[in-house]
Order: sequence, then C-alpha cells, then structure tokens
Amino acid sequence: MRRQRNQPREVSGVVVVTGGASGLGESIVHRFAADGYRVVVADLDEPRAQRVADNLTAAGHVVDAMTVDVTSEGEVAALFDAVGEGQRRLDALVCSAAIETRSSVVDCDDEQWQRVIDVNVKGPFLCMKHGIPVLARSGGGAVVLLGSVLGAMAAPGYAAYCTSKTALVNLAKQAAIEHAIDGVRVNVVSPSATDTGLFARIAAESGDPDGVRRMVAAGTPMGRLGRADEVSATVAFLCSPAAAFISGAVIPVDGAMAARRL
Amino acid sequence: MAEDGDLAGKAALITGAASGQGRAAAVLFATHGASIAIADIDDDGAHETAGMIRALSRDATVVHADVSCAHDCDAMVRATVDAFGAVDVLYNNAAVQMSGRVVDCTEEQWDLTIATNLNAIFWACRAAIPHMLAAGRGSIINTASTLGLIGSEGFAAYGAAKAGLVALTRQIAVEYGPTVRANVIAPGSIDTPRFRKVTEQLDDPDAFLRMLASTVPAGRLGQAGDVAEIALFLASDRSSYTSGAIIPCDGGLAALR
Repeated sequence: MRRQRNQPREVSGVVVVTGGASGLGESIVHRFAADGYRVVVADLDEPRAQRVADNLTAAGHVVDAMTVDVTSEGEVAALFDAVGEGQRRLDALVCSAAIETRSSVVDCDDEQWQRVIDVNVKGPFLCMKHGIPVLARSGGGAVVLLGSVLGAMAAPGYAAYCTSKTALVNLAKQAAIEHAIDGVRVNVVSPSATDTGLFARIAAESGDPDGVRRMVAAGTPMGRLGRADEVSATVAFLCSPAAAFISGAVIPVDGAMAARRL
Repeated sequence: MAEDGDLAGKAALITGAASGQGRAAAVLFATHGASIAIADIDDDGAHETAGMIRALSRDATVVHADVSCAHDCDAMVRATVDAFGAVDVLYNNAAVQMSGRVVDCTEEQWDLTIATNLNAIFWACRAAIPHMLAAGRGSIINTASTLGLIGSEGFAAYGAAKAGLVALTRQIAVEYGPTVRANVIAPGSIDTPRFRKVTEQLDDPDAFLRMLASTVPAGRLGQAGDVAEIALFLASDRSSYTSGAIIPCDGGLAALR
C-alpha cells in the first residue's frame, strides 16, 4: 500500500504499543503496521523506539516513536494527550512493556518487588486510565494486555513476576466490565515462552540456551516454543471487529501449557 | 484480521449447522475456503445450509446425525472423511438446553442433556482424532457456555455438561498437543432463531430481552456471527499455538460473574 503524493494516507486505525521497541512488543508493532494501522511505538528506550519507527516508515508504513516511562503518570498522561490531539482518535492500545526479576518470595527485596509491580501492573493501569477515555471518545476500541502463562501458574523463583501477571488478569476484567458500555473491550493475551520475549534473555543468560529451550519445549504439550508472530496474530485478532463480543478474556498462546498446569 | 483463504483446502465438520451459530460458522468457514460437512438432526435446515455453501462455490455434504447417539457421531466423522478425505476441523456446536434445578431435573432430562452436550463431544472427538493424527493436523472447537463457568439457578444438567466438556477439551489439548489443538468457545446469550423461539413463549419477550441485555456489560446480546468469527480464528492457523483455551463470547459477562 503505497502513499499517493500529497494525499493523506488511509489507515485502518491508530494503535499505541507500549514496550514496542523490542521483543514481542516490536513484533506486535510490525504486525499492526502491516495491517495498515498508524502505530505509535511507546517505549522507555528512545533511540530503539526511533529506530523501529524509522525502519518501518522507510518501508512505507506510518509509525511514530514516543518516549514514555509507563510507571510515571505524568508521562503516560502526556502520551495519550499527544495521541488524542495529534491523531484525534485511538482504536487500540497494547500494553506490552514488562520486566522480569528472578527471585523467590524470601529473596525478593523491596526494590525488585516494587519495580516489577510498577512496570507490569501499575503501567497497564496508568495506560488504561489515560488511554481508555481516548478510545471511548473515538467510538470504542480494544485494549490488549500482555500477560503470561505465569499469570495462571506459579513458577519457582518468579515471585514478583507471577504475582504481577496474575494481578493483570483481574485488572483487565475490572476494566472490561467498567468500560464495556463505552465500546471498549479489554482482554489479556497470555503467552508462554517464545524465542523473542523475556524468555529469550533468560535462556541466553542461562549458560545453556539450547538446553533451556529444549527443556521448556518438552514441558509444553505442543512440544515446541511459541513464535512471536503467533502472539501478534492473536493480538491483531482481539483488536479486530471479529472479536467484537470478547471482553474480559484471557487468551493463551501457550501450546496448551496452562491447560495442564491450572 | 481474517484473511481470505484462511481455511483453504481444509475440511470442517460442524454439528448443529442447520441453523443459528452452526450455520453462521458453516457459511463463514466456506467463505474462507473450507469444505463443510453439515451434521444435524434437522435435514431441511441442513440442506438449506448446504445450498448456501454451494452458492459460494464450495463443497458441502449433509449428514443426518443425532449426536446423542454414539453411532451417529462415528458415522458423521466417517461421512466427512468419505466426502473430503479428511476432517481438519471438528466444530462441536450442537446442544440442547433444558432447564431444571437439581431436585426438579428428571432422569430423562439429565440423560439427554449429558448425552447431547457432553458425551457427543467425547464420541465425535474419539472418532475424529485418529484421522487428525494421521493427517498431522487438526483443530477441535467445542462449544461450552457461560453456564459452564458459573452457577446459574435452573441449569443443573446443562451447567454440568458444559463444565465437563471444558475439562474434556483440556484433556485432549494436553494428550494430543503436538498435532491436534482443542479449544472451547463459551458463548453468553446469543440472539439466534432458536433463542427467539424460546423467548417468544414468554409473556413479554421484549422486556425479557432488554433485561437480559442489561445484565451483559456490553449492554447487548451476542450475534451468531460473533461466535462464528471466534470459531474461524480457532480453526485457522492464526491460532496455531493456542490450545486448551476457553474463549468467552459474552460481552464481558463471565468477567463480571
């Protein structure tokens, strides 16, 4: 879809993707760009967000980069003010920014705990608090929060992370029932390990990346890791009219891992 | 977003496809390239659905099936494989709904509800999975209900059957994971012709429909097309790593309850 000179481009909608400069967030940005959305890559890492936007823009897509710390209400509010004023509409919000820390309940210090809860739960809360009104003013839209299979089960050594991802599920349900009447749907996509997300870093840091990948794949009923495009296809589905009556749902992209462990 | 040809070259068996949600899915699947086996107890409606599919230049075959009989479930899978050489998608959509609290539920009501809404799914999956394993691919979609996830006065047998099929689906997902995906759609109140036939017997159907819609966070009832789009997603490779999932189609109802 090439732009005609001097003509405003037709876009399918406007989407904000937090954490869009890397990992699964970046894959989601690529998917929406390919689907013809105007994409706002919102990330803490300014140069990386700019690079993602520049590359996609050079490929003929409509992508902007914006810097945001999702734990700062001032910055989040400014992001959605800018989107509301600049684009005059918002059709979808994808909260993908997340961090992970490895420690058990007893070993988790205050600072680690607070940081994980802030980025993984308060971040999506602030983004919905300031993003949902813009979605509602646009006649409705979709919010997708990136959860984790670890929101449905416990894993040794991930106390704060598991807690944050479980909290996210009920936060999504809360927002879903409060804003359904505004035409805003809120759902969670719950991936297991992919070779793109936070798992990729854990595997890389383990000393035996292939061994870790094989072990996790073997522990999954489908016998393999997930792919980033499988996560982004599910996010795209939830943001499309085909998902018009789905809200408050958790959609696993986990090769049936949660089905075995719940 | 759905892509044309999502189901190109695939054969789908859909139970209860003579009307409502099953028919909507049959037509949508065919639009996306699938050949459809229509299994239903209602032959006239089934042939009407087949006509709609053939009008789209897709293949359709009609199988008379009372899914409360194991024999018919085996036969409908066999008929699908005979007609199309495979059963790539099995969409268990047929169901009966009869109300009754535990104490009021007769043995006949219990048996028929469990046979149609739970045993049928076991029989159909048991017959279809070997074909899917042989072909190296398969997607099973089972229809539960919001009432399989929450308690609701007067739906003893129905709620038990629907909750049971959720467990059965997870079981299939973990047992046949690498090859066969199995997922559940859990619709809330969906406005279909059969649903209207039930509400029309009430004193004030409009007031009832308004009351029902007001209990849904989205403020409306679902449409057959809402369910069909989810089934298409689950049938297609767009959901290639999703298995053992329960996808509500309820406008937020389950999240509330």
